[in-house]
Amino acid sequence: MNDWVIAIIKVVFIWVWTLLVAVVMTWVERRGAAMIQDRLGPNRAGPFGLFQPLADGIKLFTKEDIIPANANRILFILGPILFSLPAFSAYAVVPFGDKIVIAGKEIILQVSDVNVGFLYVVALGSMAVYGVIVGGWASNNKFSILGGLRSTAQLISYEVPWGLALLAAALVYGTFSLREISIAQQGTFLGFLPNWGIFRQPLGFLLFIVAAYAEANRVPFDLPEAESEIVAGYHTEYGSMRLGLYLFGEYVNLCTLSALMVTLYFGSWHLPYLNMEAFLGPISYGIASFLVFFLKVSFFLWLFVWVRWTVPRFRYDQVMGLGWKSLIPLALANLFVTALAIQLTV
Amino acid sequence: MVNECVVNAGHSTGDYVTINIGPSHPAMHGTLRVIAQTDGETVVKADPEIGYLHRGVEKLGEHLTYHQFIPITDRLNYCSAIANNVSYEMAVEKLMGLEVPEKAQLIRVIMTELARIADHQVLVGILGVDLGAFTPFFYLIIQREEIYEIFEWYNGARLTNTFGRIGGVEADLPDDFDARWRELRPNLFKAIDETDKLLTHNRIWMDRTIGVTAFSPEDALAWGFTGPCLRACGVKRDLRKDEPYGLYDRFTFDVPIGKNGDVFDRYMIRMKEMEESIKIIDQAYAMYQEMAPDAPLMAKVPKVIKPPVGEVYHATEAPNGELGFFIKSDGSDKPYRIKIRPPCYMVYQAFPELVKGEMIADLIACLSSLNVIAGELDR
Amino acid sequence: MAKPVVEKRYTLSERIYLVEILKGMVLTWRHFIFNFRASFRPGPHTVPTCWQYPEDRREISPIFRGEHMLLLDEQGRELCVGCGMCAKACPAQCITVKMAKVPEGEEGRYAGKTCSQSFNIDLLRCIFCGFCEETCPKGAIVLGQGYELARYTPEECQLGKERLISNFRDAKAKGTLKPPRKPVPVAGEAAKEAEEKGSKAKGTRTGPATARKAAPPKA
Repeated sequence: MNDWVIAIIKVVFIWVWTLLVAVVMTWVERRGAAMIQDRLGPNRAGPFGLFQPLADGIKLFTKEDIIPANANRILFILGPILFSLPAFSAYAVVPFGDKIVIAGKEIILQVSDVNVGFLYVVALGSMAVYGVIVGGWASNNKFSILGGLRSTAQLISYEVPWGLALLAAALVYGTFSLREISIAQQGTFLGFLPNWGIFRQPLGFLLFIVAAYAEANRVPFDLPEAESEIVAGYHTEYGSMRLGLYLFGEYVNLCTLSALMVTLYFGSWHLPYLNMEAFLGPISYGIASFLVFFLKVSFFLWLFVWVRWTVPRFRYDQVMGLGWKSLIPLALANLFVTALAIQLTV
Repeated sequence: MVNECVVNAGHSTGDYVTINIGPSHPAMHGTLRVIAQTDGETVVKADPEIGYLHRGVEKLGEHLTYHQFIPITDRLNYCSAIANNVSYEMAVEKLMGLEVPEKAQLIRVIMTELARIADHQVLVGILGVDLGAFTPFFYLIIQREEIYEIFEWYNGARLTNTFGRIGGVEADLPDDFDARWRELRPNLFKAIDETDKLLTHNRIWMDRTIGVTAFSPEDALAWGFTGPCLRACGVKRDLRKDEPYGLYDRFTFDVPIGKNGDVFDRYMIRMKEMEESIKIIDQAYAMYQEMAPDAPLMAKVPKVIKPPVGEVYHATEAPNGELGFFIKSDGSDKPYRIKIRPPCYMVYQAFPELVKGEMIADLIACLSSLNVIAGELDR
Repeated sequence: MAKPVVEKRYTLSERIYLVEILKGMVLTWRHFIFNFRASFRPGPHTVPTCWQYPEDRREISPIFRGEHMLLLDEQGRELCVGCGMCAKACPAQCITVKMAKVPEGEEGRYAGKTCSQSFNIDLLRCIFCGFCEETCPKGAIVLGQGYELARYTPEECQLGKERLISNFRDAKAKGTLKPPRKPVPVAGEAAKEAEEKGSKAKGTRTGPATARKAAPPKA
């Protein structure tokens, strides 16, 4: 098999897979919210309402595409694209399984193993903010601009603790490559714990997950689109598939962030105390590693939903306060302690 | 006062954005409208528009007979229609000097307190929704549904109950009230408890509510606050205790008061009042059960109600505060003038004062916590 | 009018966010699991608090104030005498009644000496207060259990006599007729009147309290 063909297959696979997960997530979110709130949620379209996202998609595609009269047309159109593209691209460096051997050829389950995978993800995460601020500004709506400003401030603020938490993780593993980090998490830590990042970096994980919630604009950090305050925030004026792109990009973002959490802190495709490679065939091992990875990702996706329907929302200044006054000092301390520990042990 | 709000934001440049919040806005309950001038996220001036939903309820009263006005009072504070009905009926009875039978009064107490619980449930739930916590709303509203079922089985309507008649009530409690109340009571406690668990000690919730739009008791009294909003400021004033009407002097219940008059206190007052209301219903229902099954439910009233010439003001403690009806009679079968004192009117006046210098998110929280009902506010 | 400054005092568990959030998550998880299990139950009514409307309807109170009907007595005669008391009592003025003498040869159709020549209820105006029902001296007009009041044209919202009577026939066929009102004992003359009326109206207004719900999740 040609390497090119394999690469294309991987790209298409991960593309379709992310899209599918994002689509199913909209359904999971609605049904999950309903179940938490003693309701049923959408259950009419198809079995268990599984076709609801499809119906929503058709609705969004066929709706009239409105661009407000005084909006900046070019930027208005550009906004959702700027938002959703980085979300899709970030997945490229995240390994979604170990490797699969087909016809004697070893294929790693990752679109591309970039040696600066970390930086790539962080960089793309920062790109998403342009989509928000451009969309918010171009709409020529006061609520939109407020949402865009909130989002910008929030994303920039939380990128700092996010990056610092990632840096501490990079110190522990001594690499920026996400694949190498995944491989390094095999075996046990201190003899009895799985050798997962969370046990080496508990505080780092906590910081990472909080910052991830803020990066994804999820409750309790959903103030850029706080419905009860600023209507729908930066996408107030958006309709049809442009709105769909925003919503979709958000769910893809969730996928990426969950995958990143699993890769860094939850042992990627490894099962605790169990070396699957030892007793599974080459093909079944590849599939199993992917499934294990996906199972872990699903848990974090569900966590996003679960938290969303449990907690209230922060206020703008409180988000900033939490980010700058609590998370960044903690992240710095975490980085310092990690560096010290590594210095002393090596 | 509204127009004299002084700009006091720290870094004000005088360059403000005017944001039109409402009348169609996800956080506006009913058709309220606030024109807010903001400096970034800080509200420097908020101008609430009172009268947007003016429907001429008082004028309507002049063209309807005394009985026909009862369904109109349903539409004042539609979250607790029964409290309005009872308040109005008591005013007319006071004007006519009617003695309402004890059993009817007990039924009124039970129903009013149920309505109070329903109203507070809506408020606490909506406050949660406005602050981003969607789930407690459902836990509370599901139990409100059960309260509405009690209403429905009592006289056939759920929201606009048209409860009671001048001189009494139109029906006895249904036979299944006992079963329903027994089932509802623990569930109500559970819903309150779950809301409490989800919100009260959650730091995000505390940060969002404690100290937000705090108000001093002196200011509150000066602005004419009543009800939970006044009690949240630390003033122990409850018409049920201070000027007991009906049978309220027979029940033992506490009047919870707050300290700071902030959103958190208003929320806590409502949470506690729900429990107090359950206490009152328990006592009233125990008294009710001791009454003879054929005890009178109506005073002797003429078919056409013609109160003597005169005027009356009667106020009751509605879920929102002091709900007063002023009725002037010219001896005919229609009131000469009806004036309604809605509790949230006085509270909403102070809204610009309350939110000045706070943030947009706090403006929404404040509005929810005041429980401003457009139907009652604009009449 | 300086605003009071409020001191925030948090306990440690409140201060660090996580404890209370985790407690809340346990609570929501209980609800989720309970409803998740319940949603696999057979039938349209699965989650106890959720009614899947068209096929799964909640029980309506037997004394519900919904769409009106004009009653017929056991011989199929119209009870309405066209006195217009309902029209007078109506706060929304949605009822128009024209009284007429019972036409000769049609005495079998009407219970009284007079009848309503036309009877019209404007559903667009009605506020369903139930005053007409309460005022009617013959107990002829009743608010039934019909709550699906959406119509396509304003004309359909005008309930004429035929529609009102057919409403009654439908309700009778479905067995959803309103039980007769319990007399309200009036102070003073209570004892005397109650005795007279009590012998006539024995029915109760209340329906059976049925077990409609499963137990809510244990907290």
